[in-house]
Amino acid sequence: MLRIPFRVVFEQRGETARRLSLLVPLASVLAALFFGALFLLATGYSPIDTYINMFRDGFASFNGITDTLALSTVLICTGISAAFAFQMNLYNIGGEGQLYLGLIGGAWAGIALGDHLPTLLMVPVVLLCGAFAGAAWIFVPAFVRSRLGTSEIVSTLLLTYIGASLIKHVIYTPGSFFRNPNTSFPQGRLVADSASLDSFGSSRLYPTFFVALVIAGALYWVVKRTEFGYRINVIADSPKAAYYAGIHANRTTMWVMLISGALSGLAGAMLIVGPYGKIEPSIITLGYGYAGIVVAALARNNLGLIIVSGILFSGLKVGGNNLQVTTDTPIHIGVMLQGAILLFALGGEAFRRYHIHVVRVHDVSTKKVAA
Amino acid sequence: MSNTSHEVAQGPHHNSGAASTALSAHSIDKKFPGVLANDSVDFDVRAGEVHTLLGENGAGKSTLAAVLCGLYQPDAGYLMRNGKRISLSSPRAGLQHGIAMVHQHFRLVERFTVSENVILGSRDLPFRLNRRELNEKVAAVAESYGLPIDPDATVGDLSVGQRQRVEIVKALYQGAEILLLDEPTAVLVPSEVEKLFENVHAMTAAGKSIVFISHKLGEVVEISDRVTVLRNGRVTGHVPGRGTADTKELARLMVGRDIELNAQRATHATGHEVLQIRNLSLSVNDVSVLTDISFNVHAGEMVGIAGVAGNGQRELADTIAGLISPTSGSVTISGSMTTDRGPVQAREVGLAYVPEDRLGMGLVPSMSILDNLLLTRDRQVVVDRISVRPEAARLIEQFEIKANGPDHLARKLSGGNAQKGLLARELSGGRGATKLLVVCSPTRGLDVGAIETVRRLLNDARSSGQAILLISEDLDEVLSLSDRVLVLYRGAVVHETAGETAQLSQVGAAMAGLSGGGR
Ligand SMILES: Nc1ncnc2c1ncn2[C@@H]1O[C@H](COP(=O)(O)OP(=O)(O)O)[C@@H](O)[C@H]1O
Ligand SMILES: [Mg+2]
Repeated sequence: MLRIPFRVVFEQRGETARRLSLLVPLASVLAALFFGALFLLATGYSPIDTYINMFRDGFASFNGITDTLALSTVLICTGISAAFAFQMNLYNIGGEGQLYLGLIGGAWAGIALGDHLPTLLMVPVVLLCGAFAGAAWIFVPAFVRSRLGTSEIVSTLLLTYIGASLIKHVIYTPGSFFRNPNTSFPQGRLVADSASLDSFGSSRLYPTFFVALVIAGALYWVVKRTEFGYRINVIADSPKAAYYAGIHANRTTMWVMLISGALSGLAGAMLIVGPYGKIEPSIITLGYGYAGIVVAALARNNLGLIIVSGILFSGLKVGGNNLQVTTDTPIHIGVMLQGAILLFALGGEAFRRYHIHVVRVHDVSTKKVAA
Repeated sequence: MSNTSHEVAQGPHHNSGAASTALSAHSIDKKFPGVLANDSVDFDVRAGEVHTLLGENGAGKSTLAAVLCGLYQPDAGYLMRNGKRISLSSPRAGLQHGIAMVHQHFRLVERFTVSENVILGSRDLPFRLNRRELNEKVAAVAESYGLPIDPDATVGDLSVGQRQRVEIVKALYQGAEILLLDEPTAVLVPSEVEKLFENVHAMTAAGKSIVFISHKLGEVVEISDRVTVLRNGRVTGHVPGRGTADTKELARLMVGRDIELNAQRATHATGHEVLQIRNLSLSVNDVSVLTDISFNVHAGEMVGIAGVAGNGQRELADTIAGLISPTSGSVTISGSMTTDRGPVQAREVGLAYVPEDRLGMGLVPSMSILDNLLLTRDRQVVVDRISVRPEAARLIEQFEIKANGPDHLARKLSGGNAQKGLLARELSGGRGATKLLVVCSPTRGLDVGAIETVRRLLNDARSSGQAILLISEDLDEVLSLSDRVLVLYRGAVVHETAGETAQLSQVGAAMAGLSGGGR
C-alpha cells in the first residue's frame, strides 16, 4: 500500500497574535494578486497594467470611486444584515430575497403614496416600507426558528427563490400595479418624483450612502453598549448562560432575524429612492444579497469593519467590471480576479486560526506485529 | 480507607520486581497551545503490576495516557514495548501492541448492545455476525476476570459502573495486555470501587499490566504497586505503593506544599428557614426525575446533598433556581413562593446559584469579568458599565482573583479563578442581598489551593448567616463541610443524617441505593 510519509497537522492557535490579524489579510491579497497574475500571463495580458487599471477604475478616479461608494451603499446594508444575524449564529442567507421584497415594498410606497407626501417625508417612508417588507419576508423563518428550532438556512434560502418569482410576476404580468402601463415592453413603473433622490453632481452616488454609514455605526453601538446587544452577546456565546440568567433566547432570536431581514429590505428600498426609481427585474441576476454574505465574512461579522469590507469589495467589483470597458480585457478575467482575492482572503483565515505544519510520519505500526 | 481488598492483593505482585518492563515511555514532551502538558516524562509499567499516575487535575495524566495508547503523538521522546522501540500513529496501532485505554469519558454507543460495543471498530468481522457465538465469547472474556455482564443488554440501560465494565471487557476482548484506566473511580460509588479493585487484581493475576490514573490519595495507596506523581506536566516523584506509601508525602509531591483540606465545620447558631421545599416532584418526558422531595435550609446552615452524578442533583438545583418548573410541589425562598416564577424573581428574593458548569453556564466565556458581573444584575437599556467597574475591581481584589482587571476575559481565567469570580458575583448579591446560595460541585476540577479558598469562602458565607445548599459528588467534601447531609438516589431523598455523626459506610450505601429508605 502506498503511504505518504508526511502529514499536515492543523494545530489550533491558543491566542491569535495581533500581528497575524494584519499580516494574514495582507498576505492573502498579495497571494491572490500573484495567483491572478499567472492567469493573466497565461492568457496574454500584462498583470501590472491590468492591476493598475483595476485600481484606477475602482478607486482612483472620480467615476471609479463614486461608483464604488454607490455600490457599497447596497452592500454595506446587505453586509450588516448578514453579519448582524451571523454574530448570533443565525444564518440568514436569504438576504437576497429580502432585498427583492424591499424593492417591491419601497416601489409600492413610492407609487401609491408618492403624490400625497413631500420628499422630506416620502423618502423615509419608502425606506421604512422596504425595511418592513424585508422583515415580513423573514418573519416565518424567524418564527419557526425561534419556536421550533427549524433551520433558518434552508427556509430563508428557499424564500429567495419565491422572492425572485415574485419580482418576475409583478413585472411580467400585464396590468400589474408595479408594471409601467405606458410601454408594451415589460418595465417597472416609476415611483413619484417625491420618492426619488438626486445623485451628487455628475456621479451615480446617492445620499443613501450616508444613511448606510449611520445605520452601520448605530448598530455597532447597539451591540456594544445596549442591553439588547448584551443579550445578543450572551446568547451567541452560550445559550446555557442565557438560560441561567433568565434571558429569553426566543424573543431575542426573533428580533435579531427581523432586524436582519429589515436591513436587506432597506438595501432594496435604497435602490428605489436612488438609482432605479422602479423595480428593475435584472436585480435577480446581480446577487447583491449574496454579496452581503461575502462582505460579512470578509469583516469576520464585525459590524464596525463592514464599512471597510463593503467598500473594498465594491471597488473590486467596479474595477473588475470596468476592465472590459476601459481595456479590452474580457470581463471574465475581472470576475476571476475578484473570486481569487475573496478565496485567498477567506482561506487566509486558516493561517490566522491554526498553526499549520508538516510532520514526518514514521509508522512502525503498519509492519504487522507478529510477536 | 477500606482494607477489604488487601487479601486479594497477594499473589503475583511480589515477584513484580522480577517481571520485565512491558511498556515504557522515555522523556515524553507533549505541548498544547500555551501549556506543556508533559515535560520530559519517564514512565514504565511491568507485567502483572498496577502502576499509578497520581496528580491534580491538569497535571498531565490523561495526556500521558493518551500518548501511551497512541491517541496523541508526543512532540519529543519515545515508547518502548518489551524492550523494543515503537511508535504509535493511532489507538489502533496501540491496540496492535496490546495497549488499550479506558477513557475518563466513556466511548460507547448507547443504542448498541454490550456485544456490539465490544466488537465496534474491529476490522476483520465476518459479513454476517453469529450473535450467539459472539455473545458467548464476550461473556467468557468477562467472566474470566470476574466482570459479569449481560452481552445482550443495551448500553443505554446500564449504570455508569456497568458501562465502565463494558469498556474494560472491550479492551480485554481486543487482546489488551496493558490497560490504561483514566480516573476510573471518579464515577463510582464506594461499593463499586471495591468491585473494580477486585477486577484489577484478577487482571494483574493473569499477567496484565494496569496503569491506574487518579487524584485520590486513599485509593492510590490501596491499589498501587508503584506510584508516579505528576505536577504541572513533570514527574515529581516515583514512590513505592501499597502499605509503604505515606499519604502526606504523596500529597506534598502532588501539590508542592503541605496542605490542610479538612476545612473546619464552623460552630454557630442557625436561624430561621430560608429555603423551604415541599413535596417537590419533577417529571421530564414522563420519566420521574425528582420524587416528593421536602426539606428546609436555615440561615447560617449548610445542607449537603450527596449522591452519584445523574440522580437528580442538577434538576433539583435548577428547580430551586427557578430555571425549571416542577411538576408538583413548591419552592419558597425567604418567605416568597418562587415556584414557576423564573430565575429573575428567585434572585430578587435572595437566591444565588453557582452551577456545576461554571464556564458556559455560570459565566459567559467570551465576556469580560465586568460583563459577567452584569449577567445576573439589573441592566439599563443602555448598559452602564462605568458605575460597575469599581465594584468589579473591588471584587477581584477581595476574592483574590488572578486577573488583569475587570476587562479580563472569563475564558482566560484558570478554573479556580473562574470559580472564585463566579462566587464573587453570586455572594455579592445582585438583584437583592444574597440569602440562599445553591452551589453545585464547587471544587470539581480545581487545584488544591483553589479548593481551600472556595471552601473557606463557603464557610465564611455560612458564618455571615447565609443559607447554603451544597450539592456535590465529592462525598468527602459534603461530609466535612455540611451541618446536615441528605442523600439523593434516583431523584428521592433516601437518607438524612447530621454532618458530624455521618457514617461514610451508611451514606455510601444510600448513594448506591442500598438503604432502607426510599421511594
Ligand atoms: N486537547 C487539548 N488541547 C489543549 N490543551 C489540552 C488538551 N488536553 C489537555 N490539555 C491541557 O493540558 C494540561 C494537562 O491536561 P490533562 O492531561 O487532561 O490533565 P489531567 O488528566 O492530569 O487532569 C491541562 O492544562 C489541559 O488544559
Ligand atoms: Mg484527566
